[in-house]
Amino acid sequence: MLLPYLLFSIALVGLPVLISFGLAFFKYDAISPPIWNGLFNFTETFSDPLFKIATLNSLFFVGLAVPLRLFGALLLALLLNQPRRGTGLFRAAIVLPTVIPDMAYALIALWFFNPFYGPLNIILKTLHLPAPFWLTDPTTAKLALVLMSLLQIGEGFVLLLAGLKDISRDYFDAAAVDGCGRWQIFRHITLPFLRPWLVLLTFRDVILSFQSTFVPGYVMTGGGPYYGTFFLPLMIYEEAFDRFRFGNGSVLMLFMFLLTMGLLLVLYMLFKGWGHDDA
Amino acid sequence: MPKRLQTALYYITATGISLVFILPLVWMISASLRQTGQPPPRGIEWIPNPIMWDNYRRIFEIIPLIRYILNSLVVAGSAIPITLLTASLAGFGMSQLGTPKRSLLLTITVGLLIVPVTSLWLTRFLLFSWLGLIDNPLALIAPALMGSSPLFILLFYWTFRRIPAEVYESARLDGAGAFSTWWYVALPQSRPTAISVTILTFMFYWNDFINPLLYLKSEKFYTLAVGLQQLQQLDNTNWPILMAASAVMIIPTLILFTILQPNFLSDERLSGLIGH
Repeated sequence: MLLPYLLFSIALVGLPVLISFGLAFFKYDAISPPIWNGLFNFTETFSDPLFKIATLNSLFFVGLAVPLRLFGALLLALLLNQPRRGTGLFRAAIVLPTVIPDMAYALIALWFFNPFYGPLNIILKTLHLPAPFWLTDPTTAKLALVLMSLLQIGEGFVLLLAGLKDISRDYFDAAAVDGCGRWQIFRHITLPFLRPWLVLLTFRDVILSFQSTFVPGYVMTGGGPYYGTFFLPLMIYEEAFDRFRFGNGSVLMLFMFLLTMGLLLVLYMLFKGWGHDDA
Repeated sequence: MPKRLQTALYYITATGISLVFILPLVWMISASLRQTGQPPPRGIEWIPNPIMWDNYRRIFEIIPLIRYILNSLVVAGSAIPITLLTASLAGFGMSQLGTPKRSLLLTITVGLLIVPVTSLWLTRFLLFSWLGLIDNPLALIAPALMGSSPLFILLFYWTFRRIPAEVYESARLDGAGAFSTWWYVALPQSRPTAISVTILTFMFYWNDFINPLLYLKSEKFYTLAVGLQQLQQLDNTNWPILMAASAVMIIPTLILFTILQPNFLSDERLSGLIGH
């Protein structure tokens, strides 16, 4: 019964990962047969100035977006946890932007951040706040992409809501009897119980944030301006599908894979440390 | 703090935050009804003047939108039954295994969940081109053969685990084989899960932009997501037209979300989502 699932998982995930491992050592353009290239693809890729830019951009995005997204999802889950009249509607509103197709979402954001037509700058101008040019400036373009990712936190929000529901009421009642304040309850009951979900979400969000920059980077800014939104997935795409350098593309894929795993390992260590004082 | 003030504060905060999440969509609709070529609005324009319903007709003339919508529907429509079949079979198989094998498979499934899709683009492309599947819609449906997402397998697995062991046991004593137990005993009890997976699978394929971008070449196979990009490349500042097309792409998702939403967001369902 598991056969189709396992078989096709190997064919569509296992095999591709293995091939890309090998391909990193070859010069291959998908037309002529692959030529052994030793470590040349690695040295060439790592000395490419764009490689450094793409890596730093990706790390900037992940470093800023992941904590903000988690914090936002947690706050909203705490706020909308109590069953009250109308809470269902509020919850639905929060999840709504998450279900919008990436392509449509990118187009809406493109218009939203437009300095003249977009509602964001119109609001900022009426409030007499500085209205930056957003997507046409390398720094604000990156921030704009982070901002738009902050509305798509539905998954984490739902998972944390479910996590909160899973905590038995008895604990809160006992704490209230003992005269614990809200902060104490949050610190000593809610947070420790949510910890496994927060860890899971952080891991998932790191992985997703590395790759979710592709559609906005490709559709909205094309990696610009001045490579301000040039992220690793976009670089992989350009190496492989614009320049037909599949070997170099594989090197980048491996690098991104190892970078993600490395980050997860660091986070894992951090979370383990965090676990001790509230266990 | 008095209870009433607290309640009032709650509703003000919750409404304010909800508006932040909803307003971009409301503005998108209003922008899609603006006359093309009008100068930028001076303030937030809630209702454009004049209202151009015609924009929604014109997008169908600028690009072959109907064909793209049909293509997207065919891809999603073929992927859904395959996904349901593979994912429910795998989930059922996993729920029936003994502990060591089951944990191994759970680890594999979670492992599959964290493989970054970017590390698959390139070699899947090569794999498909060796199989002659480039520029073939089958390449888009292929992930359905592995259940589309490991998450769907886990959803079925959790559902089937929750059915008491005695139920399976009595089916076995009645002489039912694995497949008939799956079909007659397990599946009928997994309706809410099957509905959720159906809708999520639809969204998965309807939203998919990267796979059609990588594997399709001829316009006749384009799905709606790629069609939207084509529209953007034709005239990248024609906001009313672009917003109208985005609205068309969002509408089916919104309808399905409305159906699915009580499945995930109501208090009783949320408590059952993780469950012990």
